[in-house]
Amino acid sequence: MDVQTIKQTARQARRYVLQMNHRAGKGHTGADLSEVDIICTLYMAVMDRRGERPDQDRFILSKGHGAGGLYCSAAAMGLIDPAILDQFMGDDTLLAGHPINYKLPDLVEINSGGLGHGLSIGVGLALGNKLAGRGHRRAFVLLGDGELAEGSNWEAAMSASKFRLDNLIAIVDRNRLQLAGKTEDIMPLEPLADKWRAFGFEVLECDGHDPHAIIEAVNRPSLGKPRVVLANTEKGHGISFMANVPAWHHAVPNDEQLAQGLAELEE
Amino acid sequence: MQDLRDAVIATLVTAQQQGADLSVMVADSTSTSKIAPFESAFPERVINVGIAEQNMVGMAAGVALSGRTVFTANAAPFLFARSNEQMKNDICYSNTNVKMLGLNAGFAYGPLGATHHCMNDIAIARSLGNLQIFAPADAIQASAITRYAIAHPGPVYIRMDSDKVPLLHDEHYQFVPGKPEVLQHGQETVVFCLGTLAHEALAANQQNITIVSLPSLHPLDTQAVRKLIAAHQRVITMEEHVLSGGLGSIIGELLHQHGMRQRLITLGLPPYEFTHSSSRAALRRQFSIDAEGLRQTLQRAELHAVS
Repeated sequence: MDVQTIKQTARQARRYVLQMNHRAGKGHTGADLSEVDIICTLYMAVMDRRGERPDQDRFILSKGHGAGGLYCSAAAMGLIDPAILDQFMGDDTLLAGHPINYKLPDLVEINSGGLGHGLSIGVGLALGNKLAGRGHRRAFVLLGDGELAEGSNWEAAMSASKFRLDNLIAIVDRNRLQLAGKTEDIMPLEPLADKWRAFGFEVLECDGHDPHAIIEAVNRPSLGKPRVVLANTEKGHGISFMANVPAWHHAVPNDEQLAQGLAELEE
Repeated sequence: MQDLRDAVIATLVTAQQQGADLSVMVADSTSTSKIAPFESAFPERVINVGIAEQNMVGMAAGVALSGRTVFTANAAPFLFARSNEQMKNDICYSNTNVKMLGLNAGFAYGPLGATHHCMNDIAIARSLGNLQIFAPADAIQASAITRYAIAHPGPVYIRMDSDKVPLLHDEHYQFVPGKPEVLQHGQETVVFCLGTLAHEALAANQQNITIVSLPSLHPLDTQAVRKLIAAHQRVITMEEHVLSGGLGSIIGELLHQHGMRQRLITLGLPPYEFTHSSSRAALRRQFSIDAEGLRQTLQRAELHAVS
């Protein structure tokens, strides 16, 4: 898969994010735009999902509030029908505000939304795959940086290291913003790479909006350790007036902002 | 006299030998769970995550996603309090194939005090969707419930005792989910017991009462329970659990929902109280959930009925 195609798909996912959240009047627009390049890159160029479950690479969205970014990426990739984006956060919808496995079993591995859960699940999945002789099957976990304040992540990190899970890849959507402001003001994470390293992880950093850099980081040959990729991102990336503005964590565009945002995505 | 845990672990060993695909996860609780026989037979199938219950339960969901049937085995108070959101989201809401053994539930930790007493597990468990809830009364029943749990695809909670208790069943026992189990037939009073308290009720040695064990709280054959209630004038419940949300509440709700007029006497830890550090026997005595407490309760109930 060439990088240009992934970029175009992510751009389409961004259009969908603006349109879907505008229509619903709800959503985590900034958080969605932060992650779509990572999700599109994983599904289009990294994960092997050809086999039947559980014999697949699997993706767990630990930052469950980024459900919109997952749905819109899936629509842009042709994994779900874009027409169903219209039902985002509607009554009894397939597309809940936080993803539900039984609604979209092919896309959503497990229900998420409570923060600090995904890494433990990913550790269990990676370990289970190893124990079943499927150590080549990888578990990818997308973590928000704000949710790293949940202590359960560090319990999970200790376990990943103990069990030498080189088939576990955590990706931190490092946009440095959370609901109430900057991560470094609310509960400082830095030195974040050192923390992960101290917990026994191989730590790589990349530009989380550059498919080529993401592919390079997740696919680099293993050192036999669990890996974390600190993906430097921008909340609201791709839309000038949303980028890096905390209020867009869960704001939605009005008519005018939608038009402007879509125009920017044409450039 | 047999320990329920020995029976559960032996059942897991047999199931694994017969081709089940199990993992057992512990949070440093290898002695609490008495897992040694399973661990020596299948060391690679035991996952010890250290003292980290949240991570254990979340990981259990992940191991289940990899295709295995997962048992977690640790002290019930920490399972329920520490990993409650993981139980809710990752196990129950997500309907993953995880069976949770809650060890040393109730007053089992006696003198270790309220931090270690697990008095609200049933109340919490019955508030969670998709979760089946069992409380075996003896080793044979514990084994049968374990076999059922392996066969049932989905979340299960088994409230486990740690004492050695006599057998109430023989090897022909068949566990039927939901079925109330009549251990003794009598008139006027029916006593519903949670888990191993059936032994206290039997030890009260009151031949004129009906004694019923409810090893399966969800599913529960409410019609059969109502039929038992309808055949008596009064109902007593006994549980090593707080009275808000446990067995007494389950029976009370049934009475109320169906307009039944039987008097209900609930024995257990009163709401809004903590337990103290005492031997298990002393705690049972304090809350009248031992043989003597039941005898006195019956006497008072008789007087009440006469006056």
